[in-house]
Amino acid sequence: MKQENPDKTMRKTILSSMILIPMIPFMLVIFIGYFYSKISIENRTVESMQRIVEDHRQMIDTFLRERRTNLQFIINTHSFETLNTSRNLEFVYHNLRTISNAFVDLGVFNEDGLHVAYHGPYQLEGKVYKDEPWFKEVMETGVHISDVFLGFRDYPHFIIAIKKKENDRSWILRATIDTHIFNTMVGRIRIGDTGEAYIINKQGLFQTQPRTGRDILEPDPARSTYLRPHEGVKTYTSVRDFGWFLGQPDAVQNDHLVATTWLKEKPWLLVARQEKQDAFSGLRAFMYIVGLIAVIGSAAIVFVAFNQTGRLLQRIRDVSGEKASLKSQLIHATRLAELGQMAAGFAHEINNPLQIIRSEQALMDFILAEMKEKKEITNEQSLEELEDSMRQMIIQVERCASITQAILKFGRHTEPQIEDIDLHLFIPEITGTISNKAGVLGISVKQMIDDETPHVRGDKGQLQQVLLNLFNNAIHAIEDRHGSHGGKLTVSVKPADNASVEIAVQDNGTGISQENIEKIFSPFFTTKQPGKGTGLGLSVCYGIVEGLKGTMDVSSQVGQGTTFTVRLPASENGKG
Amino acid sequence: MKILIIDDEERFLHSTQKLLKRKGYDVETASSGEKGLDLLLEKNIDVVILDVKMPGIGGMETLKRIKRQHPTVEVIMLTGHGTAEYAVDALMWGASDFLIKPISVSEMIGKVEVSFARRLVLENKIRAARDIEKDRHPESKQPINNESRKDK
Ligand SMILES: Nc1ncnc2c1ncn2[C@@H]1O[C@H](COP(=O)(O)OP(=O)(O)OP(=O)(O)O)[C@@H](O)[C@H]1O
Ligand SMILES: [Mg+2]
Repeated sequence: MKQENPDKTMRKTILSSMILIPMIPFMLVIFIGYFYSKISIENRTVESMQRIVEDHRQMIDTFLRERRTNLQFIINTHSFETLNTSRNLEFVYHNLRTISNAFVDLGVFNEDGLHVAYHGPYQLEGKVYKDEPWFKEVMETGVHISDVFLGFRDYPHFIIAIKKKENDRSWILRATIDTHIFNTMVGRIRIGDTGEAYIINKQGLFQTQPRTGRDILEPDPARSTYLRPHEGVKTYTSVRDFGWFLGQPDAVQNDHLVATTWLKEKPWLLVARQEKQDAFSGLRAFMYIVGLIAVIGSAAIVFVAFNQTGRLLQRIRDVSGEKASLKSQLIHATRLAELGQMAAGFAHEINNPLQIIRSEQALMDFILAEMKEKKEITNEQSLEELEDSMRQMIIQVERCASITQAILKFGRHTEPQIEDIDLHLFIPEITGTISNKAGVLGISVKQMIDDETPHVRGDKGQLQQVLLNLFNNAIHAIEDRHGSHGGKLTVSVKPADNASVEIAVQDNGTGISQENIEKIFSPFFTTKQPGKGTGLGLSVCYGIVEGLKGTMDVSSQVGQGTTFTVRLPASENGKG
Repeated sequence: MKILIIDDEERFLHSTQKLLKRKGYDVETASSGEKGLDLLLEKNIDVVILDVKMPGIGGMETLKRIKRQHPTVEVIMLTGHGTAEYAVDALMWGASDFLIKPISVSEMIGKVEVSFARRLVLENKIRAARDIEKDRHPESKQPINNESRKDK
């Protein structure tokens, strides 16, 4: 019971170290693995996004270039005269439409910005564009793709215009690109579920409509992030579309993965974005797997730790139990000697008062006898009771005396007279002394003395005391179990390991319970009735055997019998 | 017969003396070895019952002194703790018996009687020897000790 607390703390220490020590590297591996994988997954996601965006840009650039070359082809193969009427223009327009239906209209302008011919859904003929920004631009550069603007028609569109010089005079061919078609084409980027693409101009205004709300020509809230000159595709791994969806606060914090690239045909920035959650959805699945592994792994570690701790503790308990019992045996041996001396002292002190009781009793007895003689006591019954009490006093003093005698004997530690003893002769001598008693109780006494048995080193008197004690105990146990029939007492002697001789006294008596077997060597432990046994027999034996540098063991089975084994050092002179 | 009991247990002295007196013995008591030795000088003691373990000079020493001063006085050792060596020692120093407490009073009396008988025998022998001596050398007067015989 007193071990419970240290046990608990030990359990805690072992358990925590058994859990923590594997857990730390395990978690480290998990986390490192997770982070590396996360990075590589992210990189791959970003790379694939870049690839898609690059492809997309090429497609848009190609589209713009083709539309431009369409117009250049027309302008190179026609003269101003052949196109300056709307009818002629219509014919060309229809041809153009067969190449690309992205052309909404076609118009021809003279040097002064006058719209001389037009074919298309609007009525723009005769309007003067001299001050329009695109007109100025094309007059200067020769080829111009405009930003999206509202223009006279008040509808967002952009145009491609090309100037041609003919006999000192310039004229201009212009076509409007179908906003819807362009929009669709730009927007038709497929990246995950939330992917979208749009174009902003140098001022950050939407040139196409993003899928997620906002109108063309509105400014992109994140334009300040994107609008910077760069080559190739640039990615931003975390762009918060703060303020993107007005009035949709839950979407406000959506984090985006963004890739941008400048078009080649026109200083427009292609922006592709995808919600991060969506972009890295593979990562999430991966995270779940890692989490699962972590949980299962931890559970396994904890389980194993608990399991092993239990076993370890059991083992430790076993070992410390063994150690404790070893220790207690040692303590036992030294204590026995001390106890012996102490007990002898006590016994001595007790004997003095016992002697006084004796004397007093004798005196009383004497006086009583006198009184009786003189007929001073006439009550016969009282007299008898008194005499009975007197006798009891003698008996009880006698009993005390036998205890003190036994204690004194026990405490007596005379130096043993060590000599070589030939057990072939010695054992029969001793069994001889008990053969009468055994015979009366119907106990068959057997001796099995191995021929190889060497002499032992010991004190004859002491060894006799030990064996007689063991025999007497055995006879008692046998009597208790069998009465006067069927008892068996066997003494076997044989050489044992480490130059020793083993004397085993085996009986088929009552046996000793597990509980008692630990105590039988303790002084005063007895199961006999009060007054019948002192409980010193075995402790004396133990002390003696110890003194002879031998060992003493017991094994017993309740209802089967008991074997006491005494090992004594063999004589160096070998066999006698 | 005069008995001297030397023991440090007063009550033992008291009740044993009372009992022995009632039984008709002449009993003296002393509670230490020194007192016992004094008494031995004063009175004619035949048998001493001597406790071994006592404060002061102790039983063994008392035995030695008694035997030195009064060789014919019989000493019965009485002890609460009897080891064989001790008993052998005591007998070697001239004790006539070695009894272990507790002993019944009747047993004790038995031992005392035996010792006394032995002393008588011994004294008679000595007296006879002295008489012969006296016959041969009437001038030499050498008493063996300061005691004279006095029967119970
Ligand atoms: N051979 C045996 N079979 C069964 N029990 C035994 C045997 N030997 C000893 N014991 C048990 O061990 C106890 C202690 O034995 P031990 O010899 O020390 O004292 P005891 O026999 O009781 O008293 P004492 O020896 O003074 O008669 C006994 O009371 C008995 O219960
Ligand atoms: Mg016993």
